[in-house]
Amino acid sequence: MAIKNYDELSSLELDTLREIGSMGTGNAATALSQMLGREVRITLPEVRIMGYNEAIEWIGGPEEITAGVLVKMGGQINGIMLSCQQLDFVNLVLESVLHQRIDDYGQLADMENSCLIEVGNIMISTFINALSGLAGMDVTLTVPAFTVDMQGAILAVPMAEYGGQSDYIMTIGGNFVFDNQEVPCRLLMSPDLRSLNALLRKLGVSDE
Amino acid sequence: MSDKLVIGIADMKVAKGEGMLVTYALGSCIGICLHDPAIKLGALVHIMLPLNMEAGRTNPMKYADTGIRETLKQMEAMGARRTRITAKIAGGAKMFEVGSSSLGNIGQRNIESVHLNLKKEGIRLLKEDVGGSVARTLLFDVNSGLGCVRSYGRAELII
Repeated sequence: MAIKNYDELSSLELDTLREIGSMGTGNAATALSQMLGREVRITLPEVRIMGYNEAIEWIGGPEEITAGVLVKMGGQINGIMLSCQQLDFVNLVLESVLHQRIDDYGQLADMENSCLIEVGNIMISTFINALSGLAGMDVTLTVPAFTVDMQGAILAVPMAEYGGQSDYIMTIGGNFVFDNQEVPCRLLMSPDLRSLNALLRKLGVSDE
Repeated sequence: MSDKLVIGIADMKVAKGEGMLVTYALGSCIGICLHDPAIKLGALVHIMLPLNMEAGRTNPMKYADTGIRETLKQMEAMGARRTRITAKIAGGAKMFEVGSSSLGNIGQRNIESVHLNLKKEGIRLLKEDVGGSVARTLLFDVNSGLGCVRSYGRAELII
């Protein structure tokens, strides 16, 4: 039966989404390793269904500044993929690629920005390619959009986009581990409800 | 100010006499401060979407139309008079520039809906800080009726 709200997902369906998240973020971590030239692993990804305000606490509070890379999915799955890059992650990327660090997001110039956009874009594309291969669904992606601002407002973008459908937001994502150091990189996938139902049907876990 | 009341997304709170109402990180969302200066009654609503088309209507504060209407109703129940109530708003930004999709328009649609609904309810809009591409934290002092907007990389603004 098709679900009408994220909190109606069965445990089998949640497990399936966790598996998708695991595969997607695993692929993203491999792509990131290759790009940065250092080993990147991924912790067990979580699938979370959260209320709006809970989601903002989960990501680390509303006013914290973060870099966000956003891509819209279209085709057979509609939704938003978001890469929230907190300062630790930003510095790991910049150190590996440009051999520099920043103390504040204000120090980001064009070069650093395009580096972060590219990293976000590659992780998102790899994630989606793995997903679309597994489900046999065609997914198109927009050119990545980028902003540096309060993370509460960044997270509110997928919430507002699907807010008319649900009071909850679903996120699939995990933490990356570089050289035994755990860095929270929030890679979030928020499909709309119709696409989520279609995806679960395609994977054969939704009982008709 | 220790007695700060925090308003979440799709949430509303009222304070009387003294008190600071605050809502964090408004992106495309809008914070609406409603104030009756005569009795020092203030409310802050954090709306996310322009129009309530939900069948169940479980959360009126999520939408501009039902959020404003419901808040005014509660303020009137606490002694506020419609003719004295004024409004100040902040938010409605476009956080991401995404090609040709409708994604970025929610902020603009929210602004238009808030304007329209304030007008429909006969509420005067005194000041606003809306649009653009920056997130805003909005603080509202119920005693003075002054609002303060805090953004990343921008000076504080009093509204």
